[in-house]
Amino acid sequence: MSRATHTVIVTGAGGVGKTTISAALAIRLAHPDHRTVVMTVDPARRLADTLGLRALSNDPTPVPGVPGLWASTLDATASWEGVVHRYSDPDVADRLLTNHYFRAIADRFPAAQSFAATEMMSTMIEAGTWDAIIVDTPPSAGGLDFFLAPSQTADLIGGKLLRWLTGAQLPGRRFLYRFTGKPLLKIADTVLGGALLEDVAEFLLDLRTMYERLAARAATIQRHQQRATTVVVTTADPAPVAEVLRFFEELTEVSITPSAVLLNRALPLSWADAAARPLRGIPDAELRGVLKANLMRWGGEARRQATAMEGLADRYGVPLLTVPWVAEPPITVENLANLLDDVEGLDALL
Amino acid sequence: MFRALDPDFAGVAFERRDAPFLHGLGSVPKSGEEFVDVQLCHHVSCSARTGSYRTEAGNRDRGTSLREMLDRRLLLVSGKGGVGKSAVSAALAIVAARKGKRVLALAMVGPNGLAAHLGVASLSYEPTRIRPGLFGASVDRSHALDEYLGLQIHLARSLPTRQLSNAISVLADTAPGIREIVTIGKPIFEVWRGEWDLVIADAPPLGQLQSYLSAPQTITGLVPTGAVREQASRLESTLSDPAVSSLLLVTTPEELAVQETREAIAEIDTGRQILIGGVIANRVLEPLGVAADAIAAIPEGPARAAGLLHTGLAESQAVWLESIPRDTRLPFLFGFHTPGEVAARLADILEGFM
Repeated sequence: MSRATHTVIVTGAGGVGKTTISAALAIRLAHPDHRTVVMTVDPARRLADTLGLRALSNDPTPVPGVPGLWASTLDATASWEGVVHRYSDPDVADRLLTNHYFRAIADRFPAAQSFAATEMMSTMIEAGTWDAIIVDTPPSAGGLDFFLAPSQTADLIGGKLLRWLTGAQLPGRRFLYRFTGKPLLKIADTVLGGALLEDVAEFLLDLRTMYERLAARAATIQRHQQRATTVVVTTADPAPVAEVLRFFEELTEVSITPSAVLLNRALPLSWADAAARPLRGIPDAELRGVLKANLMRWGGEARRQATAMEGLADRYGVPLLTVPWVAEPPITVENLANLLDDVEGLDALL
Repeated sequence: MFRALDPDFAGVAFERRDAPFLHGLGSVPKSGEEFVDVQLCHHVSCSARTGSYRTEAGNRDRGTSLREMLDRRLLLVSGKGGVGKSAVSAALAIVAARKGKRVLALAMVGPNGLAAHLGVASLSYEPTRIRPGLFGASVDRSHALDEYLGLQIHLARSLPTRQLSNAISVLADTAPGIREIVTIGKPIFEVWRGEWDLVIADAPPLGQLQSYLSAPQTITGLVPTGAVREQASRLESTLSDPAVSSLLLVTTPEELAVQETREAIAEIDTGRQILIGGVIANRVLEPLGVAADAIAAIPEGPARAAGLLHTGLAESQAVWLESIPRDTRLPFLFGFHTPGEVAARLADILEGFM
């Protein structure tokens, strides 16, 4: 009997601390009697060391010193190779994997890394061997791509370009000859020079053979995403806050409702009030002066954070959790475990 | 197991051969692990026109390097996502306009950040005047494609340009290099147009920057002949001309941002697609000038907590600042509410450096 897996998706803009929060959540959830895995994307080196990640690999490895916790880091190229082998015929797979357009798409199509991450998440859920999966997401489009990637990828492969180029719903390879005869394409070919369009079309024909199976897969992935707990991480800086707003607006399209917004690097608002009062208990006048000026700066910043976050979570009816700004970078197991200690409302979420 | 990324640099930079993503700075390989020096391309033989960052601009006086960047015709500004490159782009555009230049601030991917920092609601493809001498615009791909095909490649008017560009627009989502060449093309076309003293482009983040900088080469590699190829080589030569174009890298003194910046410096020193004009460390916290022990000894409360937070963060920043060139540093701005306020303050600070 396979296990029911609890999945937590950690999303948000680049630079807000998604990978750190994912690792901290995973350490918090980990239990020696359970199997928990954290799937990271592009961790900083020191965090990768802490998690025992020695190489880019989709296969989870045990996290040193945390019984019951495994970690992996996304290898998008390997994921795409897996996708091609699973969803296309063997001869097509061989052609695709050696095609330089395929490599360009797998490496550079913005949703491609996100699609690889969703595919890995789904594979792990379906394995039925994990109690909990924490999913760190690629920063592309403020995290939105992770949710849009399944349908975008199916669209690309089902492609309007291919239909336009060939004029057929389900073209066979012989349509290529007709395709090169189209007058408009002769012009395009002249402008672009050489056989560029022809190469692309041939590649797309191969890709097209995967469409039905991949579209069905995309639908399954979306169901996994809808069942998961989604946490949106942000800081109080204007750019990530704007991303959160955009995220909520656009997520309704894919029927995803985040469970919480998690404000990272938060400052206590009490500092703002304390900055207005005289400092007591510091006899050294110079030290008092320095600390007073410092408290006024940080208190002002705390006030700004509060203003920036005002109404953000209420607006969408989800709780706002705050993770304090800490001086010590949270990269050791101990610091990561402590990071979420005083976060109210976290356990209800997990 | 390890190879040095850049043996001349202060500190230790390395990447693990068996796990190239595990690279970093400041840590010494564990005992028993092999450490091999590998010379980078620019130490041996590179024939491109731009020089190595460190030898030509690396440790120059910050005022000089800032002035030189603004005196060229094109400045690309990039950095890891979230480090403040739109803020710095807007601030430099404001400074240049104050100095009497006619400046175009151009958002290459996503207009929102640059628009907010310039204090306008949005930016359009057509340059619009923001204040005297300062204009703003944003690259949107379908317009850029039309311009690329129609205006720059001089397609005959009789050709069905609209239809053709629709076709190439969908192709651009698939074929490597086309999206990028059209986007990197726009700021260069604006330089060719000759209407501006300076074009400042808020460029794609570091993770994507290479594919834009290399787009002209990608195209010349894929397309054997024709107008597109000629166009691509012209773009390449404007971009790599150190008298015309330079790149400013913005970073914050944090592990990932510094690591990506150093990788970019190494890659561009090798690829030589553009001159690196400078590196700006943003959001730098100045030390408080009092010992952490003295702060720790005072009674618990907000003053102690804020003091220890500042001291701890500043110490950690100092480690990362060590491993990037001693170039321009911009302070962390406390309590600034809007992107417009941030850009204006940064502009004042940058102007003070020049």
